[in-house]
Amino acid sequence: MTDFEILVDGQAVDPAEDTTLVVDDERHGVGRLIHGGTVVPVIVEGRGSDRVVTIAGRRIPVTVRSWRERVLAEAETAAAAHAGPVSVKATLPGLVVAVAVGVGDEVEAGDSLLTIEAMKMQNEVRAPRAGRVIELTVEAGRTVATGADLLRLE
Amino acid sequence: MSLRTDTAPPFRRLLIANRGEIAIRVIRACRELGISPIAVHSDADVDALHVRLADASERLGPPSPAESYLSIPAVIEAAHRSGAEAIHPGYGFLSENAAFASAVTDAGLVFVGPPAATLAGLGNKLEARRSAEAAGVPIVPGTTVALGDDAAGLAEIGFPMMLKAAAGGGGRGMRRVDRLEDVADALAAARREAESAFGDGTVYAERMVAPARHVEVQLLGDRHGRLAVLGERDCSVQRRHQKLVEESPSPAVDAAIREQLFESARRIAGSVEFHNAATVEFLLDADGKHYFLEMNTRLQVEHGVTELVTGLDLVAWQIRVAAGEPLPDAVLEPALRGHAIEVRLYAEDPYDDFRPSAGRVTAWRMPDGPGVRVDAGVEADTDLRSEYDPLLAKLMVHAEDRPSAVDRLRRALDETLIGGVQTDAGFLRWLVDQPDFVAGAYDTGFIAGRWPAGQVLGEETAALAAAAALAARLREAATPAVARTHWPAAGSAWGRVGREEARRG
Repeated sequence: MTDFEILVDGQAVDPAEDTTLVVDDERHGVGRLIHGGTVVPVIVEGRGSDRVVTIAGRRIPVTVRSWRERVLAEAETAAAAHAGPVSVKATLPGLVVAVAVGVGDEVEAGDSLLTIEAMKMQNEVRAPRAGRVIELTVEAGRTVATGADLLRLE
Repeated sequence: MSLRTDTAPPFRRLLIANRGEIAIRVIRACRELGISPIAVHSDADVDALHVRLADASERLGPPSPAESYLSIPAVIEAAHRSGAEAIHPGYGFLSENAAFASAVTDAGLVFVGPPAATLAGLGNKLEARRSAEAAGVPIVPGTTVALGDDAAGLAEIGFPMMLKAAAGGGGRGMRRVDRLEDVADALAAARREAESAFGDGTVYAERMVAPARHVEVQLLGDRHGRLAVLGERDCSVQRRHQKLVEESPSPAVDAAIREQLFESARRIAGSVEFHNAATVEFLLDADGKHYFLEMNTRLQVEHGVTELVTGLDLVAWQIRVAAGEPLPDAVLEPALRGHAIEVRLYAEDPYDDFRPSAGRVTAWRMPDGPGVRVDAGVEADTDLRSEYDPLLAKLMVHAEDRPSAVDRLRRALDETLIGGVQTDAGFLRWLVDQPDFVAGAYDTGFIAGRWPAGQVLGEETAALAAAAALAARLREAATPAVARTHWPAAGSAWGRVGREEARRG
């Protein structure tokens, strides 16, 4: 029985019953979840409806939202689905070492678009959906920050 | 019993040409030896932990490694400015760079490492293969000359094969090739990675030995021709050919295999002058046959595992032999005690193919207690930089035997809490519950074969995560700044509550 809807990794989940959260380090969100006679160390980060809960080393995105927040979020998602081009952004900072596509290329969802080297590892950036490359904002040899625009798909 | 032959510190000041956990490890050895440790830093590391723990720190340059930690002139200048008498290179960066070793000795400083000529020879994995063959040590079938851009002649080695960087290490510039038609692409990729990581794109080919275990022998040599053989380490749990877990002794090595490995390691060492810590790496196939892979004449990341079972301080001994101290008999043949396991805590996402995760480490709780050692390079509220290695810390456990060491590791991982960035801690926690890991029955293909890329979140964990997030939100809602809203009890109430909410809004 709760006033909130809870999504774990995007799926609606009923919270474990008979749990108590004891917060030991407010600033870092470190605490203990006391549950059925056992103690589970947890970290809860974030504010408002979007949280990240770390349990047993895994960071788990959890949405805790009121119905009003849900309506707003769904309206936003619907608006985004009808929007035109999608911008592909860097999810980590690094050096663009190879660009596999050119303007005008048709790509399928999951196709490799370019390679970013970060922490000495080569990371493939893949197409979030099918579409045509309408703009390419980086070239090999360029350093990009997290969130930097890489290209646009239509 | 004392292993001290010299009471005076080997050096007054020593410069550590590295960063992160290994710089801190060397700083600690310096402190214990009575040496004043001098750190170096790039502009990104001004406030880094290693800088704060040293007596002083010299600026090298901008964040990019090429302009800072890999810049030979910058490091030599820093040593001169600080008045250091010796330089410890750690691992990675300049630790296996022959030009750097020469520059250090040319500057009138002591290099805590082998002579430049040794690095030039052994550091080149191809040359090392040739000398191992000459010393009568088995090598993995493959090429003993550099590959050109043309893949002709490779087919006869047999597939699958591995392309490796001659200047390589740490799995970079390494590619598996399964078919002849893939050779050209793999060669280009391996070359590019090798060029970027080591500044040398020379690549060679070896047939893949699979299933295989990665077992290495730790050596320590002095300037007087004495050699200590300090047991083996098993480093078979790897992802992308990089080690994640190391243990000593190896569960796959019995007394007979151990003697063969030690004999091969002694033969390799006999042909090389290194007066330093060194490691000879082998592949061990399913029949217990070993093949020489490479020799590193530097400190390894996983040296701590050997320190735990031998009781020796390898870093202190590196510094002492660099200063000319001979290795005493007790160091040459130490009694090995118990079992040690190390796991590497990396800022990478095991649920997304171990991709590096950048960001800020928020919460940072490391385990403690009996038989636990943590060598960490970060602390709470440390920003991670994409330019540098994502290794956060090494968690080591030591216990009387392997089963107790596994139990201790499980307990230590349960005490570990890292916030802000995804780490491999969850993978490591999964690993210690795997029956084959518990039994010691694993090989280098373990992660690729067993760890599902999109490891499904368990129902119970999901319900606990939901409860934790909800409780956190309710705590927050209990403060007046945040208004509570109500979730309707039934679907039919949606419209009504919506209208009420709209009126209130």
